[in-house]
Amino acid sequence: MSTAAVIELRTAPHLHSGLSVEEIMRNVVYALLPLCAYSVWLFGLSALLSMVTAVAACVLTEHLICVASKRPTTIGDWSVVITGLLLALTLPPGFPLWMVVLGSFIAVGPAKMLFGGLGFNAFNPALVGRAFLQAAFPVAITSYTPALALHRFTSFIPSTFAIPLLKAEPLTAWIAQVRVDAFSGATPLVMQKFDHVTTDTWTLFLGTRAGSAGETSALLIALCGAYLVLRRMMDWRIPVAMLLGAALTGMAYHLASPALYPGPGFVLFSGGLMLGATFMATDPVASPTTPLGLWIYGLLMGLITVVIRFQGGLAEGVMYAILLGNALSPLIDRLTQPRIYGAQAKEAAR
Amino acid sequence: MSTPVPPAHAQPSMANAIRMIRVLGVVSLLCGVFIAGAHVTTLERIRHNHEVILRSSVAELLPGATREVIYGVEPSGELTILSDIEEGGSRFFAGYDASGKFLGVVVEASGRGYADVISAMYSYSPEKREITGFKVVDMKETPGLGSRIGTDPDFLANFKALDASLGHPITTVKHGTKKNPWEIDAISGATISSRAVGRMLEASASKMAPVIARNLNRIEQGN
Amino acid sequence: MSDPQPIPSCCGTAPPAPGGSNPFVNGLWKQNPVFVQVLGMCPTLAITNSVRNALAMGLATTFVLASSNTLISMVRKLVPKQVRIATYIAIIATSVTVVDYLVKAASISVYKALGPFIPLIVANCIILERAEGFASKKPVFASLLDGLGMGLGFAFALTCLGSVREILGAGTFLGVPLFGSHFEPWVLFLLPPGGFISLALWLVTFTTFRQIKARRAARAAAAAAETVPAGQLVEVRS
Repeated sequence: MSTAAVIELRTAPHLHSGLSVEEIMRNVVYALLPLCAYSVWLFGLSALLSMVTAVAACVLTEHLICVASKRPTTIGDWSVVITGLLLALTLPPGFPLWMVVLGSFIAVGPAKMLFGGLGFNAFNPALVGRAFLQAAFPVAITSYTPALALHRFTSFIPSTFAIPLLKAEPLTAWIAQVRVDAFSGATPLVMQKFDHVTTDTWTLFLGTRAGSAGETSALLIALCGAYLVLRRMMDWRIPVAMLLGAALTGMAYHLASPALYPGPGFVLFSGGLMLGATFMATDPVASPTTPLGLWIYGLLMGLITVVIRFQGGLAEGVMYAILLGNALSPLIDRLTQPRIYGAQAKEAAR
Repeated sequence: MSTPVPPAHAQPSMANAIRMIRVLGVVSLLCGVFIAGAHVTTLERIRHNHEVILRSSVAELLPGATREVIYGVEPSGELTILSDIEEGGSRFFAGYDASGKFLGVVVEASGRGYADVISAMYSYSPEKREITGFKVVDMKETPGLGSRIGTDPDFLANFKALDASLGHPITTVKHGTKKNPWEIDAISGATISSRAVGRMLEASASKMAPVIARNLNRIEQGN
Repeated sequence: MSDPQPIPSCCGTAPPAPGGSNPFVNGLWKQNPVFVQVLGMCPTLAITNSVRNALAMGLATTFVLASSNTLISMVRKLVPKQVRIATYIAIIATSVTVVDYLVKAASISVYKALGPFIPLIVANCIILERAEGFASKKPVFASLLDGLGMGLGFAFALTCLGSVREILGAGTFLGVPLFGSHFEPWVLFLLPPGGFISLALWLVTFTTFRQIKARRAARAAAAAAETVPAGQLVEVRS
């Protein structure tokens, strides 16, 4: 299939691309900043505080672990900042800060540093942190608030300041006070799954809807991703394959039963699919290395996402799809290894 | 195992085999005796435990009930009175107060929930054709989320008078949109578990209600 | 069944018990089936989501261990080598069946909560391991003590796990609320992953504890070795 690319990756004189890890990571942070800014505009101070907290907690955890294990600190490579930002962007904007700190600790401690730090993590650390939070606090992590709420720049979402170890108060009363027009706290995926109300694609594209802090605007995510692809800091195959996989699966469901399942447009732009495909599935450490492998990896994750959404109990399946994809990537790598020149003759001789 | 076994042609092998059989036989016999002894000793107590649980469930769902009769439903729709409390199959309990007045029936129902099978009991009044109470017996729904089907007072209020007549199937509706007496107001955030309860009740009530209606005279007299 | 080590005599990760130590303390602490030998993982992970279940399972296993150890030790000289495993299994299965009735008689709700794990005690490799490794060679009383020690050690470990999981996952201990109604439970700890996480935490704790103790012992031994040939040492240094 793509043998030319395979040889490029494998043959002996490896050309240095001229990019250092630190430079790539810094640029990913730049690419995430517009998303963060837009998220603050949509959800206000709470979203900002959640991001600051997550980044601070992640950086601090990594630094302390380095100090405790008597190694030079690795926070300078910027990757931990990405973990912090991604974690905050995948959480509801009003997520209690003490849970944000806990999730950051899990993401950096057990999921990254325990494996040996950057380059050794089997799974995307931010998603492991989120998976822990999802399993531990299923209510808090599905307590979404409407976008463009009143007073969002002068006051916080009340659940942000929940006292550590204690429950956040339900947000229903607060939402009724601050909501504008028809913006409710339910995410488009939840409304679709349980009430069969489909949000129009334009809203999804612009992202003026409830959801996790950074997942809402498909347009902005695509632009930020395009920047990284153009600067050759990200493999375009992963997001393209994942979105393609999701769109094809969504299309199959839609054609089988149009009344029950929304079209591929909704599938692509709702939930965290765009964010996950662009910024989390592309984790260079936890994804396969061969071009064919990347296609398989992406298509598989897209398929799993949609199957979880339509068949499973959860409204959103991106997180588990990517974690499963991460788990499979060593296997995909093995299956798609290019044939070494002369290896077949040797095998036959044996 | 790793123990060296004497060669098969050797003379003592026959005696050895007999010894093995004898020892195993005696051990098995003694084990059998132990098990039988344990069974007989605990039989009464286990029966009593089952009865206590059943009685408290029935009393909770049918306040005032002091006596209950277990009816088994044959595949043909015939009723039989069951004396063995542990006997499974399709069955329901008829509850009577101290003066012998028939209060209603309690039916066991189960259905697939979010995590595993939810098993529950509900009380049904054949006279009003209504479900009058609901209690989760066993479930593995997500703690704090789906598990609220067993504890949430607003959700349980759905079952104080839930229309179970055959004209309208029992349906679960979105939280806050219950309009008709045969609708169940779902718990917000636990839609799947709430719907499982609705489906389970509809399936069970549409099967049991006709049987109960047909045999109502007999059940009222408790024979 | 799902226990990873079906052959009992080779599955202990720890060295064999030091001779001469009290078999009761040995099982309870030094050779703790869960924290040291890492045996019986299936019930350890599956039914420790509350202290009550963990205790009930631990005590049921203790009963099986103590009774099967005693009975096996009693018949150890009568049973031909070739059928000893069959005999042990028959005795263990009997103990498990008896305990099944006993738990049902004690409480139906506990019985339902433990589900298939009571009959599965028969497949718990601690039991066959103690039968083969201890009771088949030692006198009756020592075997009884060993069974009790191992069983209570198992119950202790299960209760440790159960406490973490119940306190964090539900905010209660033995059903008594600890933190009031506003506590946010970490539901994860009631779910299967919580079993693995809390087992990992306890194993880390115990291993660290043992390492510190071993290091201290090594240091003490080194110090003792240094003090004995003190005269020579001074000479070498000078």
